[in-house]
Amino acid sequence: MAEALDAGRLRRSLIRVGAMAAKETLHVLRDPRTLYLALVMPVVMLFLFGYGVSFDVDHLPLAIADLDRSEASRALVRTVTGAGELVSVGPADPAEADRLFRRGGAVAVLVVPRDYGQKVARRERVELQLLADGSDVMVVNQVLAKAEALVRAETQRLAGLEPARADPPLQVKIWTRYNPAGRSALFLVPGLAAYILALTAVLLTALTVAGEWERGSMEQLFASPVSRLEIVLGKLAPYLVIGMLELLLVVAFGAAVFDVPVRGSLSLFLLVGFFFLVGMLGQGLLISVVTRNQLVATQAGTLSSLLPSLLLSGMVVPIENMPWPLQLLSRVIPARYLVHALRGILLKGNGLSVLWPDLLAVILFAVLVLFVSTARFQRRLA
Amino acid sequence: MSALGRPKARVQLAAVFRKEVRQTARDPRMMFMLVVAPLLQTLIFGFAVDFTTDHVPTLVLDRDGTDVSRLQARRLLADGTLQGVLSATGPAEVDRDLDTGAAAAAVILPRRLAADLAAGRTAEVQVVIDGTNPNQSTVAGAAASQYFGQVAEQMARDRLGAAGREPPAQLELVPRISYNPEVKSPPYMIPGIAALLLLVVTTVVTAMGLAREREMGTLEQVMVTPIRPTVLLFGKIAPYVVIGFVDVMLLVTAGTWVFGVPIRGPLPVLVVGTLLYLLTTLGVGLLVSTISRTQQQSFLAGFLFIMPAVLLSGVMTPVRSMPEWLQAVTWINPVRHYAEVMRSCLLRGAGFGDLATPLLALAGIGGAVFLAAALRFRTRLG
Repeated sequence: MAEALDAGRLRRSLIRVGAMAAKETLHVLRDPRTLYLALVMPVVMLFLFGYGVSFDVDHLPLAIADLDRSEASRALVRTVTGAGELVSVGPADPAEADRLFRRGGAVAVLVVPRDYGQKVARRERVELQLLADGSDVMVVNQVLAKAEALVRAETQRLAGLEPARADPPLQVKIWTRYNPAGRSALFLVPGLAAYILALTAVLLTALTVAGEWERGSMEQLFASPVSRLEIVLGKLAPYLVIGMLELLLVVAFGAAVFDVPVRGSLSLFLLVGFFFLVGMLGQGLLISVVTRNQLVATQAGTLSSLLPSLLLSGMVVPIENMPWPLQLLSRVIPARYLVHALRGILLKGNGLSVLWPDLLAVILFAVLVLFVSTARFQRRLA
Repeated sequence: MSALGRPKARVQLAAVFRKEVRQTARDPRMMFMLVVAPLLQTLIFGFAVDFTTDHVPTLVLDRDGTDVSRLQARRLLADGTLQGVLSATGPAEVDRDLDTGAAAAAVILPRRLAADLAAGRTAEVQVVIDGTNPNQSTVAGAAASQYFGQVAEQMARDRLGAAGREPPAQLELVPRISYNPEVKSPPYMIPGIAALLLLVVTTVVTAMGLAREREMGTLEQVMVTPIRPTVLLFGKIAPYVVIGFVDVMLLVTAGTWVFGVPIRGPLPVLVVGTLLYLLTTLGVGLLVSTISRTQQQSFLAGFLFIMPAVLLSGVMTPVRSMPEWLQAVTWINPVRHYAEVMRSCLLRGAGFGDLATPLLALAGIGGAVFLAAALRFRTRLG
């Protein structure tokens, strides 16, 4: 008897949630520009990340100051600029390096000393100077690494001319797993999913709920026989659907256009994505309840979800490189667990046995934030 | 523009300006998001984004277990690029730790390493790297091959010497890095971040602020007053120009104090650059507000502009790493030019002469965008 009563109440409650969701869906559909924007964004970002964001730089412009002008120095320059990683932009005066850097004409100047040829012939040690523009950190690191490797290649070439070259005493074999070609897209797509979900879920919810406060229609909703929890669930449901669509879009496009593999289980992927999304929607709700103003909600959303999921999730910058307070902070950022889980599923083919802590973390966050935000939502009105 | 010269127009402009300033300053949360939030974000960015990859968590599987192999392992890990976190006893552990992400690289020293080296046979060291993060895997691979390459070279030299033959010439690269000799990330990142935050703050705030007025119908109310659309436009954006300048000053100051960013160039370059840049960012905000009906839409549309502009600006990854057709597209990206102006002026000490190209580009883009926005704004209202 009591069970039947409960079932009836549950059914009526579900109908009310459904009505709220239908109303919110109508809102979204009546002006589909929001929907377009929400669905176009992931695709645009995917293309941008896939094509535009790469850390590897080729054809770096290098100026050559060959003070020796001998056969040996020309051979050195050929080795250094021959591989196409560093490209000669012509001769330069070392004194002019500064001007060259300021105008962006070259990122480094290789100075070959006057006595280079003689010293090589006499089998001595030669110092080659590399003047580099340190203002672009990523470029200068690559210039240094590439120049170092190319000069070592020239040393070996010189040594190779020796007839009595013994077998190398030590050899290194490097195997790169999961992403042997070192493609940035494979690294970025899982992170991108987290970023897009954080952006749309938190900010769209925050904006739509804050909009109801601004217009005063929230009070009207409360006057209706719908309970607070039902309002929350109904309002979040359409955005949950949009978010899941976005997640699928990112993976589908990533696989189709950038050959991002799906090595693990797709259902685990959806499960982690779902709970992350619920957490993000809850966070958006919390922000809107606290701010009640769309402009302020935007900023709060950017600060609390968008930036952390971009910077502290390990999406672009490895967490191990951060100072310890930020490493600690990253442990409470749900995007960190999503990025780790998605990379594990897509690239490594990890299963639940490896990824259960990540799943647990996103579930925990979702439950916690939903609890806090509904509690706060109710208190706000009483 | 001629309308601004007349006394009546000036009075009107002052009135609109005053109203906007009061409205903005009245809400402390608004001031927080315009001034404090960018500062906070700069601090997080500055500490979190560090592109010098080191501390790569490394697993060592020493199958030799002699003094020689232990010494090699210790020396390899000594400089901190590869950081020994684990030692394994079998290949199964290598697989497991790479799968879970406990280690990002594994160094396997072969059985009989010491014996092979002593006997002059070629010993083979294996390095297995997690390629998920291409940036990190490149650094890890380079560090391992550089270390073992040097060891091998030294041994080859010693052997030649022992055999009574003369070793070949040795080339050594001596880098001299200007502007940022320690290759620290913050001096490189902070100027770019300033460009990014200025874009987010001014574009989103203008777009959403105007959309809000449209939502509430207050824009129409102002239109029935004798204020001209042009005057209204300038009065509305003028406070944000002021806030933009305050933000730039704050960010640069925080950059110098907290992160040691130098100020080497003439300040007028920064002022002119910032003014031209604000023309674009505010213009985009206006444009967005004229094509969207709600705040939610203008936020999404604003972000649809901001995301590509940020990703293709060279702030996060070098422009040179993009495919050539994308590099050409970045010419119409104001963020790219402003970041270039900021970096070049602050770090390299570049003046107007060096930065003529990006400044002219900024002026061209800013003028075009602002004109288009102003025209659209007038027709929408008139």
